Amino acid sequence: MKISKLVLSFILSVSLFTQVLSAQIASTDAILGQSVVSSSKEKLVQIVSRDDVAKRFEELGVDPKIIEARIASMTDEEASRMALQIETLPAGADAGMSILGAVVFIFIVLLITDILGVTKVFNFTKPITNN
Amino acid sequence: MRASKFLSLFFAVATLIISSGCAPKNPLPLNNNYSSSKINLPFVAPRSKLCASTSIEMVSSYWQTRTPYTPLLSLSELDARTLIPAKGGTLQIELIVAARANRMLVYPIEPTFDALICELSEHHPVIVLVNRSYSWYPLWHYAPVAGYDAKAQTILMHFGDTPNEAVPIRTFAALWERSGNWGVVLLPPTQLPASATPEKFLRAAYDLEKIGMTNEAIIAYETALTRWPDYIPTLFALGNAYYNSLQIRKAEEVYRYILLIDIKYPYALNNLADLLCHTGRSDEALELLDRVVIDDDAIQTLIKNTRKDINSGCPPFIEK
Repeated sequence: MKISKLVLSFILSVSLFTQVLSAQIASTDAILGQSVVSSSKEKLVQIVSRDDVAKRFEELGVDPKIIEARIASMTDEEASRMALQIETLPAGADAGMSILGAVVFIFIVLLITDILGVTKVFNFTKPITNN
Repeated sequence: MRASKFLSLFFAVATLIISSGCAPKNPLPLNNNYSSSKINLPFVAPRSKLCASTSIEMVSSYWQTRTPYTPLLSLSELDARTLIPAKGGTLQIELIVAARANRMLVYPIEPTFDALICELSEHHPVIVLVNRSYSWYPLWHYAPVAGYDAKAQTILMHFGDTPNEAVPIRTFAALWERSGNWGVVLLPPTQLPASATPEKFLRAAYDLEKIGMTNEAIIAYETALTRWPDYIPTLFALGNAYYNSLQIRKAEEVYRYILLIDIKYPYALNNLADLLCHTGRSDEALELLDRVVIDDDAIQTLIKNTRKDINSGCPPFIEK
């Protein structure tokens, strides 16, 4: 809760500041075909999506001290993509499978081939093509 | 005897059909005459779940040895900015975000071997996402590619514990294809990707500006102009970056340069008019607005507001 308020106030101050600076000039967004955020409603949506990411980060065990900095380094598009896709995007991890993982994996493969009737490794399986 | 011969022929044909059917759709660089390349990329031993920050660290320290670039973040800060503990890894967006926070421009390459080899031959390391397993049991992994050996048909990469591991091109192609051939080059803003297009590079540079790294963005725009000197969108972005950081004289120069290339470019006319008004030259500002050819609603609103602003008098800037 504390974090999300921090994020909120940060974003609000940044957006208000930039608004004062460039009240009338056409921004670079205008020519890059990106949605130019004009209405306060759109701004609110963006703030909410950053807030959502902050909450989800906390649930996923990200160090609370760094959450604000991580989200502040995202562009609006990145923050809203994160808010929408954090559950489905692949997470690049590290080394290959553990030995235990490999053992479980081989077990499952042999189980499936047993059930398909291609192998007969285990005594407790019955192939589905049983005639 | 005849039957066994027939059977072996059958299997040979079947294998041929199946194996060609399983070949990666992405054509291999086998017959493309790509030349070999090897980048002297520093090696950092991988630590569990931290392959994204390790990859960024390797590429950052590479650029440190070749250019005046200095990173902003330490390896432990990169770790803290990339790991999502419950997922046991790093999302692509966050690899990009963390690298940019480390003062680097992040350019996503086209998902092709052409683009990959092109960057390698210019000695730009490419961080790729690969799936070491199948899609139904994914093992995602980030690793920097450090070269290509045309003779041995291998990709050199700091894949795991071994620096410059030679991965056969077919294996690499299969693993890389599972991420949709995702790859990024990380560069100091003084460098340009070999495979860059002006528009995609501009977007990458503008992302630096969006997160408040205006100085880095300005350097990146200026670097882009060395290759594409008359590309108006980059000039316009540079003018705006100067204007937003209150470097008024430089902004004016750039806007005027755009109007030399395209006398009717509406956004430059508008922004220069705004600038002139704020520096006590309202008459010239209004003349500029009269030159705008209005062909869409957004421009009409913009010009109308600027004109209103000028007529009510603009407060002067406190220039840096």
